[in-house]
Amino acid sequence: MIIKKDFGYVPNDFESERASNSYLMSLIALMVGLPLPIVNLIATLIFYLGNRKSTYFVRWHCTQALLSQLTVLPLNSVGFWWTLSIVFDSTNVTNNYIGYIITIIAFNITEFIATIYTAINTRKGQHVEWWFFGDLAHLICKR
Amino acid sequence: MEQQKVDMFLMSNGKYFESHQITYISDRLSQLDDSKFVLLQSVNLQNPTMILIVSLLGGSLGIDRFMIGDTGLGVGKLLTCGGFGIWAVVDWFLIMGATREKNFEKLSQVMV
Repeated sequence: MIIKKDFGYVPNDFESERASNSYLMSLIALMVGLPLPIVNLIATLIFYLGNRKSTYFVRWHCTQALLSQLTVLPLNSVGFWWTLSIVFDSTNVTNNYIGYIITIIAFNITEFIATIYTAINTRKGQHVEWWFFGDLAHLICKR
Repeated sequence: MEQQKVDMFLMSNGKYFESHQITYISDRLSQLDDSKFVLLQSVNLQNPTMILIVSLLGGSLGIDRFMIGDTGLGVGKLLTCGGFGIWAVVDWFLIMGATREKNFEKLSQVMV
């Protein structure tokens, strides 16, 4: 799922710090923005835009962070609005709802741990690629 | 400019710039005329750590952006209450790098 790879060049200290910040910032924004699911995506997007003129290593990791947040958004949004409809409307709690909530909690915890792991390793200057998101980031981010 | 003066300037102001810019600044300063040294000392460089503290305390009012000279972004941040809190959080991570870049721009204007 998460693989350390050779990036082609060794990033500077400031590059690894900024790249690591892109992951850290998404975690902080997630905590600040709870329970709204879109806050961390907007925060990651602003961070990406702020670093769009930075070096390739920084841009690549900002893109990977943005893509990972983009995937979590639809899953969390459905869960969020489904919960609201149960709280404020006459919708009943079903087995489907409980199953869905357990799934997105598991998905979010996995994503949370992966983000922390990537932030730590990126700060050390190591290039960490996620399954699927890494390939997408390579396609989107040009040298 | 004498190497001693360049070293003195970098020792006292090196922390205001990105680490990868130091070599470039050192080379450029060595080529500068001695008469520019006074002008160099008068450049108003901002301390990135102080700006980070300002960002933590007054980021939602855009004070940090005003201080580093980004007036447009500062007004935008002020009017939107720090981008509804999101921009303020993002700037905690961006502002130190942005301050160092601004310092480098100010120094570059003197080094021309």
